[in-house]
Amino acid sequence: MLDALLQALYSGVLNGSVYGLMASGLTLIWGSFRMLNLAHGAVYVAGAYIAYGLLSALAWPVPVTFVLAVGGAALIGLVIQLALINPILENPGRDSASLIAALAASIVIQSAILLVFGGQTKQLPPLLDGGFKVGTTLMSYQGLVVIGTAVACLFLMSVFLRVSRRGLAIRAISQNMDAARLMGIPIVPTFVVVMVISSALAGLAGVLLGSILFFTPAAGFTPMLMAMVVTIFGGLGSVTGTIWAAYIIGLMESFVAVFVGPSWAVSGIFLFMVLMLVIRPNGLFGLGEARRL
Amino acid sequence: MLKVEDLEAGYGGSQVLHSLSLRVGDGETVVVLAPNGHGKTTLLRAISGLIRPRAGRVEFDAMDLTMVPTEQIVAAGVVHIPQGDLPFPEMTVLENLLIGAYRSDAWRARSERLERVFELFPLLANRQRHLARSLSGGERRMLALGRGLMSTARLLMIDEPSLGLSPVVIEQVYAAIHAIKRAGLSILLVDENAEHVDGLADRMYLLEAGVLVREGAADVLLRDQALLATYLG
Repeated sequence: MLDALLQALYSGVLNGSVYGLMASGLTLIWGSFRMLNLAHGAVYVAGAYIAYGLLSALAWPVPVTFVLAVGGAALIGLVIQLALINPILENPGRDSASLIAALAASIVIQSAILLVFGGQTKQLPPLLDGGFKVGTTLMSYQGLVVIGTAVACLFLMSVFLRVSRRGLAIRAISQNMDAARLMGIPIVPTFVVVMVISSALAGLAGVLLGSILFFTPAAGFTPMLMAMVVTIFGGLGSVTGTIWAAYIIGLMESFVAVFVGPSWAVSGIFLFMVLMLVIRPNGLFGLGEARRL
Repeated sequence: MLKVEDLEAGYGGSQVLHSLSLRVGDGETVVVLAPNGHGKTTLLRAISGLIRPRAGRVEFDAMDLTMVPTEQIVAAGVVHIPQGDLPFPEMTVLENLLIGAYRSDAWRARSERLERVFELFPLLANRQRHLARSLSGGERRMLALGRGLMSTARLLMIDEPSLGLSPVVIEQVYAAIHAIKRAGLSILLVDENAEHVDGLADRMYLLEAGVLVREGAADVLLRDQALLATYLG
């Protein structure tokens, strides 16, 4: 019983960390320019493939490669924003236009990966090998690295949003765009910053998880779907809410998997989400339209 | 300092401002007086670049600001404090003030600016950690003014600061604007109540249906009861 509990806790926190990295990026983008970024999953998996490609081509140390891969994911985000999203921001139908542009970007990225790397499953080496046992629960060092890195990054991001000039500007834009303009905040360059941060976080999630799970060019879809669930659950646009929601959903998933059965985990989460949206339509932490970031 | 010439602006199919010209001198407090719905807010939005003027020219210190993006207008030193509710409800008082100093030149001097604002509005100093949405109406208006002062503004454009406030609070808000004036900033204030601006305004314009109908020294226009009754009702 105690072993099962520990197992559920460990994998729940691990899930939650990855969901947190993925979902906080989605929520930042939604909060600032109201775009559902359908390319998020493709950027996630691109991060893992860039690391894989660099490792097989250059054989540099794993940590260096991982940092470069996160940078690569951020660069992909930058290109998507500059080439696809910025040109349509002034467009009257930009909600659906940006949705389709992001979907197009995700298809291009996945096809490019398929062309370069093929469709077989790949895996990255862990940053730290091995692990230890607590009772019957095997905790890998890599799992702890993922948790530690995610918690540190999410913490740094919330500090960034609270004290830095750019961070405050991002929150200001998400709360009232016209008023943000009146503060002298340049809107479009701030969107670019948001997209780059969000893509870096997605790439980081891909790189970290790439050594725990196998990945294929289409492997970004499920994490993106879960991140969307987390984002809606936490109240769209609220970063703090999203981080809490990530861990709640991660833990719920693993507890259902351990105590009810693995096949119930995902369906259980969706059922719970539907119930919660009936009770709190703006999400667990959402306070309505006004509440942002 | 600020020179507006033949400005035309509106929304969609309706034109709100018709060939409107005004100027604000260095250190001057100018009030545009009109009842609601005559184009006061539109005038400020057109000057600050939130809406695009259809014709005419906006000039500040001989710099053409007519079709310039808002952030560059702010950079030039023209800061608009909009009317109504506080813009960033989910940020603390302190964060709201800091974001007022977003421009990098203002940001570097943010601690001195913060001190100056807290000196003017001691009330805000005690509420630094509170979320803006938890403030009362009067406190929010003070915060909006304080946030304007955090910027490198040389001209503050204030949109109807008394809207929806009780008489006691209104008095405090105008006292604060007096303090801003004494600090040497130029002010362009739009208002619908002549009594509020008595003693504050140097020069005044009367606006009717998007057209400036009278201009003059404030103490002359404000003594002309018949005129005020005609335009403000």
